[in-house]
Amino acid sequence: MTQIVIRIEDLCKTYFMEGGTKQDVLKHVQFKIQKDEFVAIMGHSGSGKSTLMNILGCLDRPTSGNYFLEGKNIAQATDKELAIIRGKRIGFVFQNFNLMMKRSLADNVSLPLIYQGVGQKERYKKAVELLEKVGLKGYENRLPTQISGGMQQRVAIARSLVNNPAIIFADEPTGNLDTRTSVEIMNLFTELNKQGITIVLVTHEEDIADFAKRLIVIQDGQISYDGPREDYKT
Amino acid sequence: MIWQILREAWVSISAYKMRSFLTMLGIVIGVAAVVLMVAAGQTVQNEITKTFDSMGTNLIIIAPAETVSGGVRGGRGRPSVTFDDVAALRELPDVETASYVISTAAQAVYGANNYGVSIYGTTPEYLKVGNWEIEDGMSFTEKDLKSGKPYAIIGQTVVDELFGLQNPIGKTLRLRGKPFTVIGVLKSKGDNLMGNDQDNIVMMPATTVRQRLKGSNRPQYADIAFIKVTQEDRMESVSNRAEFLLRQRHRLKEKAPNDFSLHLMTEMVEKVRQIGFILSMLLAAIASISLVVGSIGIMNMMLVSVTERTREIGTRKALGAPNKWIMLQFLSESILISFIGSFFGMILGVLLSQIGGALYEIDVPISIWSVIISASVAIIVGILSGMMPARKAMKLDPIEALRYQ
Repeated sequence: MTQIVIRIEDLCKTYFMEGGTKQDVLKHVQFKIQKDEFVAIMGHSGSGKSTLMNILGCLDRPTSGNYFLEGKNIAQATDKELAIIRGKRIGFVFQNFNLMMKRSLADNVSLPLIYQGVGQKERYKKAVELLEKVGLKGYENRLPTQISGGMQQRVAIARSLVNNPAIIFADEPTGNLDTRTSVEIMNLFTELNKQGITIVLVTHEEDIADFAKRLIVIQDGQISYDGPREDYKT
Repeated sequence: MIWQILREAWVSISAYKMRSFLTMLGIVIGVAAVVLMVAAGQTVQNEITKTFDSMGTNLIIIAPAETVSGGVRGGRGRPSVTFDDVAALRELPDVETASYVISTAAQAVYGANNYGVSIYGTTPEYLKVGNWEIEDGMSFTEKDLKSGKPYAIIGQTVVDELFGLQNPIGKTLRLRGKPFTVIGVLKSKGDNLMGNDQDNIVMMPATTVRQRLKGSNRPQYADIAFIKVTQEDRMESVSNRAEFLLRQRHRLKEKAPNDFSLHLMTEMVEKVRQIGFILSMLLAAIASISLVVGSIGIMNMMLVSVTERTREIGTRKALGAPNKWIMLQFLSESILISFIGSFFGMILGVLLSQIGGALYEIDVPISIWSVIISASVAIIVGILSGMMPARKAMKLDPIEALRYQ
């Protein structure tokens, strides 16, 4: 039996603007994501895909509905609980990498472990191991400023793996990269997915979404398509 | 966890070396100024105490009464204490000794040299009362006092000005044309609090001054009298007895005011010490303004730092940093900066005060207070100036922070 990592039910997000008007950004969204899946979430800007991503990534809470992460409903968890979940169960890859420019690559990769109370030596060991995994062996003491954008994104991917997360969220991970590097990064994601890592990718580029097996398209806060990538016709 | 936070804080501080150094400099200067001023204040107090010790502290000074007419103080009245009064005071219990002085000034002449000196006509007991010591020769005696011998004991300044390198003992100097034989030289005392040279003195029997220099028709009156009390805690009782005795001897009616005034040296010392204390507090208060400025500098830097590192804060939060962690990290950055700054400020302050002391040849104490003050100031300043920026960092919404350009 396959394991369900994420299950969202009837998820709504409403923003209350000044002056009393309200804006429904997500309307009764529901889906499941199983272990080992590689899902791309697509949508135009303003479609609500970023909001969905923030909720899935435990950076935000839904207005109503349920969000089960590994079977536990965390829709109304406190900030503190969400921080713990992010630290232990979720990996993030950002569009602009978000590395600390004055810290070594090893420090950057192992940063999430600090908050788990992992000691300095063990952190370094783990960082070296993961840098090797993303093809940056021997780079642990370099600074982010000394390497290319593609390499920086590899470091960020290594960082997202450091806490053995249940799932990795990649928000436009190739948005700041050229085509060739983008392909390299997406190949890395594909490779990681083959090794059993669940990945959710947010993008607006179709050829990037091509790397995913499953596609979810969001339009005006609702799911307009959810199925295998190859079956989706624009 | 604390260790991890401190390490993160240290790495962040050292990542911005110039900025952190300049911010620290504010605290360094502030703390150094406070330490320096506290040391200066203490030195002043010590010097005051030393000067009083050179005069002797268990003293009661009897001066002429203050004249008051229509509520206006008119300075000192005429001397009223006689030589015999002082002799009677000497017999009171708990009195070690008593003496008096009639003073004048004249030009002292020896050979081709001349110098303006203070002349003290007094009794042999005055040496003990005023903590004077004979360095060379000897003092005059009770007998010399009775017979009004033209003997003089001179201070170091007089020796230097009149005799130079010659031995003054046995030489004759002239005051108002009259000859006096130098029989002793006093040990140097240096300047007093007002900066007057205490060594510019010619001491001789009171009778000699009265007969040969003043020719006074008000005989036997002392300008000022001193009682040296055996113990400090007897000052009060001796003072009361002396007042009673003098009133009796002067036949003052019950409601008549004293025709003399009593001053306790211990009280005067206390007053001057208080003034010294207030002075040093004032200096420290002024110096701490620079400390306040320094801490505003820290707050400013931390605020800039939080704004500049908004994305970093967002990333850290997204990667699982609890809010408390973020706050403590920024707080420890400001505490570290102020702590290091205070440490070097303390060293700088102590160093400068010692250099200053060496330049003026004064002993400057290194006070334990400086250490306590600078350490506590460091922590307080660090917390106060870091609190607001740290809270700002803590309250950042991770989504907003990640979007920040």
